[in-house]
Amino acid sequence: MAVEVASAAATGTMEITVSKGELLRELTATQGVVERKTTIPILSNYLFEAVGDKLSLTATDLDLSLRTSCGAKVKKEGSCTIPARKLYDYVRLLPDAEITIKMLENHWVSIRCGRSNTKMVGMAKSNFPALPVFPTAGVIKIPAAVLRAMIAKTGFAISSEESRYTLNGALMVLKAESITMVATDGHRLAHVERAGEKFDGVSGEMKTLIPKKAMDELKILLDSTDAEVVEFAKDEATLFFRIGSRLLTSRQLTGQFPNYDAVLPKDNNKSVSVQGAELGAAISRVAQFADERSRAVRMKMEKGELKLSASSTETGESEDTLEIKYDGDSVSIGFNAQYLIDFIKAIGGGEVLIELKDAQSAGQLRPALSEDYKYRYIVMPMRI
Amino acid sequence: MAFSDFYGNAETVHQLREMLARDHFPHAVILAGPPGSGKYTLALMLARAMNCLSPTTSDGLPDFCGKCSNCTRMAQAEDLNARVAEAVEARENLRETDKKETRILVQVHPDLLVIPPDPPQLLIKVDQVRRLSESIYYRPAEARERVYIFTSSAFMKEAANSLLKVLEEPPSFATLFLLTDNPGEFLPTIRSRCMILTLAALPPPEIESLLAARRPDWNEKQRALVARLSEGAAGHALTFDIATYSAARANALVILNAAARAGDHSDLFKVTETYRPGADGREKTDQLLRALYMLLEDLMYLGNGTPHLVRNTDIQGELKRLAEAVDFDWIVRAAHGLNDVEKGIRRNLLRSLSLDAFAATEHPSRFSG
Repeated sequence: MAVEVASAAATGTMEITVSKGELLRELTATQGVVERKTTIPILSNYLFEAVGDKLSLTATDLDLSLRTSCGAKVKKEGSCTIPARKLYDYVRLLPDAEITIKMLENHWVSIRCGRSNTKMVGMAKSNFPALPVFPTAGVIKIPAAVLRAMIAKTGFAISSEESRYTLNGALMVLKAESITMVATDGHRLAHVERAGEKFDGVSGEMKTLIPKKAMDELKILLDSTDAEVVEFAKDEATLFFRIGSRLLTSRQLTGQFPNYDAVLPKDNNKSVSVQGAELGAAISRVAQFADERSRAVRMKMEKGELKLSASSTETGESEDTLEIKYDGDSVSIGFNAQYLIDFIKAIGGGEVLIELKDAQSAGQLRPALSEDYKYRYIVMPMRI
Repeated sequence: MAFSDFYGNAETVHQLREMLARDHFPHAVILAGPPGSGKYTLALMLARAMNCLSPTTSDGLPDFCGKCSNCTRMAQAEDLNARVAEAVEARENLRETDKKETRILVQVHPDLLVIPPDPPQLLIKVDQVRRLSESIYYRPAEARERVYIFTSSAFMKEAANSLLKVLEEPPSFATLFLLTDNPGEFLPTIRSRCMILTLAALPPPEIESLLAARRPDWNEKQRALVARLSEGAAGHALTFDIATYSAARANALVILNAAARAGDHSDLFKVTETYRPGADGREKTDQLLRALYMLLEDLMYLGNGTPHLVRNTDIQGELKRLAEAVDFDWIVRAAHGLNDVEKGIRRNLLRSLSLDAFAATEHPSRFSG
């Protein structure tokens, strides 16, 4: 890739023709990375590089960069930069036809399509951040469906508090035959593991902290691809995810992900199985009357029934009862309603296993029918 | 460009470079010094020395090549006013809804972020600091050290608190430079987490010799005058705008004359009414206030038998006449009055009226004469 870029730069001016549909598809795919509210030129420009019969375009917010490509008729190889937001807004409005992009002097770029003719000014290409080069060794293939499922099961639990920077990402642990992903914000923790995979090139344990922004972007990319594998690699400073013709790179976060093994409950002996959709609906109802800031709801497990209740001085009180098969000791515990709803959403409303110990210990939620994923969700209790 | 191009304060520069050489550079440095003393220039030089791709040495200490891609890109931030003007213009071109939430930042290299006070209030705002706290824990991409430079100590309260959080636990690969005219403006909790280094004022003869080399377009008299008026700041001296200063000083003299000798106020009003409210009049008012303070100092030197310290050497005669009309107490009162004017203007009092009031209340003859 580095070699391509060098030769492209050497030829200077660039001239290509590309179909509007294809260009717009790739522009749309990269919009998530382009920042709108910025005055920094290197954040608001695309880098266009035309080599062979391919146009590759790159967007970056410096922490994250996304490079994608589409087929193009390349008349003159070369590269240029174009204001990202304006280009996207403009191309969307063009008729479905061939677009000719040509680099002029002083970073001006001309865009012609049918009888439309536009000129925009980019910036010096040398100011565009150098893109990390995809490593040739140590590339690990992860099935796209697996990665997508794991991100969906953990991504929501990542902390967005800026002061807890080691929690601003999810930890991915790769072993030769399993993959695990963990995310937490200090109040709840999502842990998902899938065994029975085969990862060539992984020996021992390979731990990677994937920043939240990269997780979000990966999810979008995985949702819109038909590629079956994601090629993953990393070097000292950068993470690489190649999905089909798109390459997402992210700078690595510093810091140690906390040792989460200690918080995984080992002896939660009061367990009950509930229909997830019903539980979710009940929680949503009573949560309307929970304290607005804490969102706390009380969960009471008794013989034959599970009671959910909430009250606040301003709005009143509410209770819902679910029938359950349970004849152990009764236990009452408080949880943040949102945390429970997040989990129920992530498992799509199937049967949920609630495992508790006492009012002071973390509760564990799992899908009752463990499919191919070993998925557990730990929520810290609240005092109410 | 290299450290040899930095003029003055050799000891401080030496100290900073030694810390670089020993790999013991602090994570946060407050560089204090009068405007134009080279705080920003020095911070940018250090950023390059930390990240130069083919680092050189001079005098046995780390230096930078000025030619590699890190050096040249970072050097684009040298003309800060131009970069800020570009950013402000870019913001003007954003959609109306985005405009309000967009802050001015200068980033010419992925690992160097310059944070200037955000216009029009000219304060560092919390969104600007957030940009730092969001990005600082990412490893550097093309450099070894992520560098952040705050060019002003005028922080909004939440912004300062937000910065404090980062200062409590900065990553090993980041360095913050906080530039200020007056370190006292920072929260004590911020100060205590930073190393404070001061770029001291240079003596006038040193500045005169610098000017002789770099500003041959000025004659000797002008150079001597500028050397005294620049308050020991090399950068300030090199870019000194004699015409603007003379204009501000002429107005300042009118105001002081009106204050010292009660009389016809029409001249005074003609002058003060040109100090308009709003952001555009700010610069002009600042210059006037600076000129006023300097004239008061000169009056004090004249009145106390140290005329060789007088800065406005070109108007000695006029100053002497004025000095005879006032005593030390008057100067003290005037300085206090000026201080009140400054405070009032910060609270958005009308500039012209504040200046009128200042001139009208300082009449020695009316009370003591």
